[in-house]
Amino acid sequence: MSLFTIGLSGLNAAQNALNTTSNNISNVYTPGYNRELTVLGERNAGGGVRVNDIQRQFDHYVADQLNAANSKASGLSSYQTQISQIDNLLADQDAGLAPLMQKFFSSMEDLASTPSDPAARQGVMGAADTLTAQFRAFHSYLQDMQNGIDGKIRDEITQINNSADQLASLNREIALAKAKNGEAPNSLLNQRDQLVATLSKRVDVRLTVQESGTYNQSIGNGQPIVAGTRSFSLEAVTSASDPTRTVVGYRDSAGNINELAEDALQAGSLGGLLAFRSETLDKTQSQLGRLAVSLASAFNDQHQAGTDLNGDAGQAMFSVGQPRAFSNEKNAGDASISAVYGDVSQLTASDFDLVVSDAAAGEFQVTRRDTGERFTATLDGNGEMAIGGTVVTIGNAGTLSDGDRFTLQPTRQAAGKMENLIHDSALIAAGQGGGSGDNENALAMQDLQDALLVGGGATLNGAYASMVGDVGNRTNIVKANLQAQQGLSEQLRAVQQSESGVNLDEEAANLIRYQQYYQANAKVIQTGATLMDAILGLR
Amino acid sequence: MRISTVTMYEQSLSALNRQQGEFTRVGQQIATGRRVVNPSDDPQAASRAVQVAQSLAVTGQYADARVSARNALSQEESVLDSVGDAIASAKTQMIRAASDTLSDADRDSVASDLRGIYETLIGQANATDGNGRHLFGGYQDASEPFVRAADGSVSYVGDTNVRQQRIDASRTLPVTDNGKTIFQSVHSSAGYVAEAADGNAGNVTFNGPRIIDESDPAFGNAFQIDFQVAAGATTYTVNGGAPQPYEDGAPITVGGLSITLKGTPADNDSVTMDRASNMNTDLFKTFEKALAVLEQPAGTDAQKAARSNTINTVMRELDNSLDNVLTVRASVGARLNELDVVDSVGANRKLNYTENLSNLMGDLSNPATFAEVVSEYSLRQVSLEAARKAFVDIKGTSLFDRL
Repeated sequence: MSLFTIGLSGLNAAQNALNTTSNNISNVYTPGYNRELTVLGERNAGGGVRVNDIQRQFDHYVADQLNAANSKASGLSSYQTQISQIDNLLADQDAGLAPLMQKFFSSMEDLASTPSDPAARQGVMGAADTLTAQFRAFHSYLQDMQNGIDGKIRDEITQINNSADQLASLNREIALAKAKNGEAPNSLLNQRDQLVATLSKRVDVRLTVQESGTYNQSIGNGQPIVAGTRSFSLEAVTSASDPTRTVVGYRDSAGNINELAEDALQAGSLGGLLAFRSETLDKTQSQLGRLAVSLASAFNDQHQAGTDLNGDAGQAMFSVGQPRAFSNEKNAGDASISAVYGDVSQLTASDFDLVVSDAAAGEFQVTRRDTGERFTATLDGNGEMAIGGTVVTIGNAGTLSDGDRFTLQPTRQAAGKMENLIHDSALIAAGQGGGSGDNENALAMQDLQDALLVGGGATLNGAYASMVGDVGNRTNIVKANLQAQQGLSEQLRAVQQSESGVNLDEEAANLIRYQQYYQANAKVIQTGATLMDAILGLR
Repeated sequence: MRISTVTMYEQSLSALNRQQGEFTRVGQQIATGRRVVNPSDDPQAASRAVQVAQSLAVTGQYADARVSARNALSQEESVLDSVGDAIASAKTQMIRAASDTLSDADRDSVASDLRGIYETLIGQANATDGNGRHLFGGYQDASEPFVRAADGSVSYVGDTNVRQQRIDASRTLPVTDNGKTIFQSVHSSAGYVAEAADGNAGNVTFNGPRIIDESDPAFGNAFQIDFQVAAGATTYTVNGGAPQPYEDGAPITVGGLSITLKGTPADNDSVTMDRASNMNTDLFKTFEKALAVLEQPAGTDAQKAARSNTINTVMRELDNSLDNVLTVRASVGARLNELDVVDSVGANRKLNYTENLSNLMGDLSNPATFAEVVSEYSLRQVSLEAARKAFVDIKGTSLFDRL
């Protein structure tokens, strides 16, 4: 139509393009920013150019992949942070349990050499005190980690709820903006996608994009946490099956709180914490407890078979914490459960889940948690049954109803209450009734060093060694997985960035390009003006 | 592929982090002096190391046990040496006392020498270790195992137990012997001892018995020779058998034994012969018997005969006791030898375990491992420097610099 309009449209387009370039440059390091492109098009009538769109360079497919990879990596990373603490604990060879158990047995050897020597007897008591103190310290280190994880779960849940809230309100704002302008501003879309990325790092969420462009998010077995403009909150609740433990609860639309199955929350930092707790921390704590119980019970038996300096039968040498058992608070009946140690050679380092399968017959379906092995156990005439080295008693068994659940933790807390009970050196039973020079019982106690006391198949030291190997292996595996997953994340991130990231060199080139573009269009207008002057100059 | 500026930073930063991590890890290995720092560095090695460390410590523990076993046995050995000497010199005194030409005064001096030896022996039998524990009381080590009654007789109040100690994984060694074994026993192979009855009224003395035929079917039995004097004829019976005429100075042979009897027996006098282990085996009782006859002057022929017979019996018993003490001493020596053998085995084992442990943990005192670690350290240092350089270079290139 006219050089002026064409030039003007060009100037306008150049300004827009320069704006976009500047925006890209200024946001080069902004998390969640997606590169924008000025999409130019021809004007239909009269020529000239027009800006069709400021296009956000965002690929949902790549973003989803990256989020999933990040979710796994962040789960492994939080797992690794936790397990490294145990790995480091076991790395200290001099302060570990093995040297202290060894010292205790050496003190038995001294006692066998000079059974009535007060110094040798004092040595046994000292070694027993140090050993039990170390068991307790180990246990409390692990227990502190348990408590720490409870707190961390609470933090994670707060953060997840915040993100879900924000996501829901962004859904609303974006819908409003769309309704108003037909299109949502890129900055809001960027923010929303960034929230999805943040959320994925905390827990494995599944994203569904509705046709309207609204984001819905669900976790676990499909429980929605963001549905359109609504968000549903997670809550840290006390487990119904174990009142000492914090788990993730989900408040549904009816306002009821349900515990989320932990195996459905695998990834994200929350998933990593839960997996570490159930796979490693519980097991390590139970292994330690089993070691304590095996040691205490073997020494107690042998010590009680001997005679002390006063000629009396030996007393128990160590005390340990008893097995813990809980009835599920949702049980229909109000039967109670308690447990004591039975045949300790049968002890495992695992917890057990008990479900009533036939209330009238007192029959339970028992699941061993670490192996998943299932078997049935039936109450005997005294209301007792033997499970994994413990004797379980059900109180109020008459009120049992089918489907009632119980949890049994045979050794988890045992090491925390391990104490040396002998505080008078005369009470050490070194002999077996022979007199002050009798060392037969000391020799027998010394022999326990080579006895297969733990789980009927390992020496005390062997059991500790396998604990060290176990934790080492797990740490190793987690480290390797984390490395692989981080590599994958980095790659996907590069792919995502190659699409959505800003390259400053490119923008510098664009800056020059669009500057020239602007200047050229200005020239067009100038030319138009010159032409106009030429016409006007015709006299 | 487009590379975003952020990717460039992120990738070189993460490379830098990785290199720094590796560098720190090798640095930590050098600082701790071993390649396996955390169990996760090598779980199998870490777990094996716990086991080997215990084996190593147990080896040390048994070495300690051997030190105290050696102490106990050496103490016993030196006491047994003096006991042996004491018995030998008692024997010498008895040989002096056996001489008929000795005056009562001389015999008194023999008796007082003998009493001195006797007291020494009681002292040795009640010897204590450095902790005041009695060596020869069995498990009853808190009080003296040999006590003297009001009448001067000594009796053993310890028990027959022997304290054992574990000196190696598969060996418990007796580290003491009790007083009964040492002072109140004779070796099972000890021969015959003869003894005249206390109330013999005649003056028969014996010489022997000698063993002449061990294959005699009655060899090993006890024999009692009884004398009958009737109507001027003296006969004897063996274990109540057929009477035989008694001939002064002629040897009597029975059950593979030969004993020579001299002098004139009175009716109902008797002499008993039996294996040493069935007769008196108590060394202190032997001394008491000897002192009883030596400290009293003998007036009558019967008393002189009794003295001579007792001295005879006592000499046999002292020989047997000495044999017994020497046997125990030999067994103590054998045990000390065994300790030496086990010591050298233990030292070897300790060396193996130490080496094994050092291999498992990648101990840097091993020159090969050390060289390996140091070269890795330099390598990591170079890589880290390279990563740093790359970071600076990438950061340094920008089109904006040229606008």
